[in-house]
Amino acid sequence: MAKDNVWDMTLKRLDDTMTILDLKPGIIKYLKEPRKVVEVAVVVKMDNGDIDIFKGYRVQHNTNRGPAKGGIRYHQDVTLDEIKALAMLMTWKCSLTGLPFGGAKGGVAVDPTLLSERELENLTRRYTYELIPLIGPEKDIPAPDVGTNAKIMAWIMDTYSIAKGYIVPGVVTGKPIELGGSQGREEATSRGAVCTIQAALKILKINPSNLTVVIQGFGNVGGNAAKVFFDQGFKIIAISDISGAIRNDKGIDPYKLSEYVSVNKTIAGYSEAEAIDPSELFKIKCDILFPAALENQITKDNAPYINAKILAEGANAPTTPEADPILKDNGVFVIPDILCNSGGVIVSYFEWVQSNIAYFWSKREVNLQLRDIMEKAFYETYNFSLARNLDMRKAAMALAVNKVANAMKLRGVYP
Amino acid sequence: MLRKIECFIQPTELDKIKDVLFEEGVEGMSLSEVQGFGQQRGYTNGGKINKQVEFLPKIKLEMVVEEEIVDNVIKKIVNLAKTGKIGSGKIFVIPVEDVIRIRTEELGENTIL
Repeated sequence: MAKDNVWDMTLKRLDDTMTILDLKPGIIKYLKEPRKVVEVAVVVKMDNGDIDIFKGYRVQHNTNRGPAKGGIRYHQDVTLDEIKALAMLMTWKCSLTGLPFGGAKGGVAVDPTLLSERELENLTRRYTYELIPLIGPEKDIPAPDVGTNAKIMAWIMDTYSIAKGYIVPGVVTGKPIELGGSQGREEATSRGAVCTIQAALKILKINPSNLTVVIQGFGNVGGNAAKVFFDQGFKIIAISDISGAIRNDKGIDPYKLSEYVSVNKTIAGYSEAEAIDPSELFKIKCDILFPAALENQITKDNAPYINAKILAEGANAPTTPEADPILKDNGVFVIPDILCNSGGVIVSYFEWVQSNIAYFWSKREVNLQLRDIMEKAFYETYNFSLARNLDMRKAAMALAVNKVANAMKLRGVYP
Repeated sequence: MLRKIECFIQPTELDKIKDVLFEEGVEGMSLSEVQGFGQQRGYTNGGKINKQVEFLPKIKLEMVVEEEIVDNVIKKIVNLAKTGKIGSGKIFVIPVEDVIRIRTEELGENTIL
């Protein structure tokens, strides 16, 4: 997969948006440039006594609307270009949903599955230490992403707090509940996605019973989404992960599947579904296709075969710009990533608020507030797309970019 | 936190709903026979929806419960009250500022246990 072009692809999306908005060239130039880019050498003493060095990054794309916010990714293929692109996407996501945040992203080029628990902790603490001047509850707030989880967030919080001399729970979100994490954070992305899917069903006048879903990915987003969809009464007919893909037209029970995965690590060999070629996954006829893996999965090559009514982008940037017009021509309704998967950062925002004021909300409260923001963002985007005759992605991008540009104009340029 | 669940449903399966909700931890509820219309415009199945509005008999159930069980209570009501057709009804969830049991003057959560 040509991962290196994800930055070019994100810039292209921004250029496409600029043709809709009436912005001066200087502002366009400004929005393309990340505000801060930091590269660090993460030195780790390995269990065998040897020293290894991993490349770590943190990019703050924009802080006009608030402190920078974005996940930290541990993955062997992490590159600076990818982190820059994802940081920019975070800016648009926070802006579209109206959160008072800018966008950031971080990552370490490491395969976390090859590290021992101690090595992983040391890597996290060393990386955090290097970022201390950059992060903080009023500056830049990391969160989990691919390859990171609540435990890693707890180590980041601890390292930062030790350096400061007092506990700072607001420095990071996605923490364990015991350390000030929010109720409902784990499944926030999937819950938010379901809100947008339900709104899409309403406007497309699709009967919300007996819906079929195909999910790419069975990690934090895909796995949780499968459970949320299942509880909602949707029928999951196919799922894939890194090991392959499985299909059962009678429906797959994600609770049983995740028990299987907790023992066997992958979905391969699961007996209550038939193994299929992963390249067939996107061709399956379904109501909702939910990519929840990495970037650049839906391309001009496989887009013509997609047979779904709704493409709900659980992952970031799963669709390449060349695939967009193909999906449009085939009548696939796209709920773009910056709208569809923004539930994660919305509940992260709730967690940051709760951590900063040292108060906590009930799970129901979190879920209701999440739904409120998701529905508002969906209908704002949809109405704008109708008013300006745009597809959902262009509408979402235009709204998001415009809010950032306005914030920039209001603040002016210092000095 | 206490929440009031107020639902308007078709007058069917009431005994079942009562027992199922009791099992979910609903310690008390009120039932009233009411008349109303919604999207259905008062027309029963088969009738065409038009601008003219008619009242139809409905059942109103009201109960006050702890927030933690609200989602489960809703799920149970939906399962039993869903007719699959227009006019199955609606459920409203309302925050309750306080509750007072008159006999004992108990307050809040103590009144619903």
